[in-house]
Amino acid sequence: MTTAITDGAQPQTSDTAAALLKVEDLTISFQSPSGLVHAVNGLDLTVTPRERVAIVGESGSGKSVTAQALLGLLPTATISGRIEFDGRDVLTMPAAELRALRGAEMSYVFQDPLSSLDPVRTIGDQVCQPLRIRGVGRKEAKARALDMLGAVGIPNPDRRYGDYAHQFSGGMRQRVMIAMALIAQPRLVIADEPTTALDVRVQAKIVDLLYALTEERGVAVVFITHDLGVVAGFADRVMVMYAGRVMESCATEELYYRSINPYTLGLLQSLPRVTGAIPEKLATIGGRPPSPSDLPSGCAFHPRCRYAKDICATEAPALLTPPNGTHPSACHFAGLLAEEPGVLR
Amino acid sequence: MTDTVIEVENLVKEFGSGRHASRVLDEVGFTVNRGETVGLVGESGSGKSTTARCILRLIEPTSGVIRFEGEDVLSFGRRKTKEYRARAQMVFQDPYSSLDPRMCVEDIIAEGIQIHRPKEKRAKVRDEIAELLELVGLRPDHLPRRPAAFSGGERQRIGIARALAVRPSLLICDEPVASLDVSIQAQILNLFVDLKSRLGLTMIYIAHDLATVRHLCDRIVVMQGGKIKEIGSREQIYGAPHDPYTIALMQAVPEPDPMLARERSAQRRLAAATAAKSGAAT
Repeated sequence: MTTAITDGAQPQTSDTAAALLKVEDLTISFQSPSGLVHAVNGLDLTVTPRERVAIVGESGSGKSVTAQALLGLLPTATISGRIEFDGRDVLTMPAAELRALRGAEMSYVFQDPLSSLDPVRTIGDQVCQPLRIRGVGRKEAKARALDMLGAVGIPNPDRRYGDYAHQFSGGMRQRVMIAMALIAQPRLVIADEPTTALDVRVQAKIVDLLYALTEERGVAVVFITHDLGVVAGFADRVMVMYAGRVMESCATEELYYRSINPYTLGLLQSLPRVTGAIPEKLATIGGRPPSPSDLPSGCAFHPRCRYAKDICATEAPALLTPPNGTHPSACHFAGLLAEEPGVLR
Repeated sequence: MTDTVIEVENLVKEFGSGRHASRVLDEVGFTVNRGETVGLVGESGSGKSTTARCILRLIEPTSGVIRFEGEDVLSFGRRKTKEYRARAQMVFQDPYSSLDPRMCVEDIIAEGIQIHRPKEKRAKVRDEIAELLELVGLRPDHLPRRPAAFSGGERQRIGIARALAVRPSLLICDEPVASLDVSIQAQILNLFVDLKSRLGLTMIYIAHDLATVRHLCDRIVVMQGGKIKEIGSREQIYGAPHDPYTIALMQAVPEPDPMLARERSAQRRLAAATAAKSGAAT
């Protein structure tokens, strides 16, 4: 194992110092029986230290694939572009260096804690592992694991330490996963739909916990979700994806109050709420998300878009800030929407 | 007198027996009037799905009374139960496992009609199916296809058409939008609102969150741990909930307004910190 990873000698220039994670023009495709499937197309993403970024998209949007690529978890995919973590290129990194990076600097919280935890090893053993494989002694690892389990809200950590995954509820398992992700003190956590399988109250608690812990420890988070409602109170910045492309990317307030993208607006308006007037009908987006193996021409959203004109079917819009706008949106009519942001006429 | 479709009284369901019995429904009681949509809301383990299964007699309750249009459902014999199945139908949560992958859409929808009205003319059945398709927003060219050719939202429409085919007077929907994409959820919710006004459907709608229920239900039953915590009209539950559990559920609904969401999250964290200090473990 290379030692350069864990000590403080990081190559930094003033240019990259601000960015912890820098993704440029990321394109991910898979070979399938029916040909090449483009899962992600030209994605740019920058995460600064301590920042919370949400990636929002429906099934087939490429959000999870993007998350997996960040940690080098897609060995069979064809990936082009650049993924830089702290100035080091993740895509060309030797396997040993990548292993050292995972867990210690960048870690991952999976969607389904039951299938991601080992059923035949104790919880304590698994939470210790990121430390043990980095040469921390058994005693110290256990002490730190107990602290960590307490910090994620597992009651009586010393009694639960020897328990197995099946003895925990869904919410408690997700807490264990968060403990595993944070124990080696990473600088970036990628959480892939960490609350999707959970009840609403538990979901709220897990999001709150993730917020509090990462805030305390100065960890940056990339939070992947299909639900714009879940991350509104969590994220500093939100990126909306559709069919492998970024549709809109900006500060959280900008997105929720002043969106200039028809897809984002459609998503926001179709969310059922517990406050405000009850509309006779929810606003909907017609049709359904396209399959990545069969993308529409031009702007992939055009068959479902109420704004679509001829140009949308032939030309894919670039992610650009319109002259009268304040943030980028991939829509030919972003300028028109920017006249009255947040409103779909 | 109001026209009551379903009356549930003191419904109890225990799994296991003796010392090992676990009570998953504890004295549950509520009514559903004709034309009304009642929401059963609760988290996993609240007993909402068990209640629905008892009402349809997919499982037998331990004790209690269920009346459907005045008749005692639990005393039904074989023949009456079969008749009952034509009058009370279910839409299931998972549109992938609830449709037979080897049947085409036409057969899936026609099956119920053939069982309950075997003498119906083929042409009449065809017409009815065409009407149902239009009603749930599917096209005639979908009929010869199998479920694998459809997305989750379209499958759920097939499931709804299948349930409506036997002209039930009660439709029970068990989390019908929970597994769908956000943009599709709204489409299906709107379909239910539409069916409600066009057919005057009586519905029991089961959900784990209070947001979807608000758009559809006239009255709401909040359940936790097999017990009913609160029953109220939509206006009362959302305007002035009084049970602490209802309030907690309400505060946990994902809020898409960032400023409101941050406020709520800060309140929850504060409450959690106070609870942790006083030694209460959750």
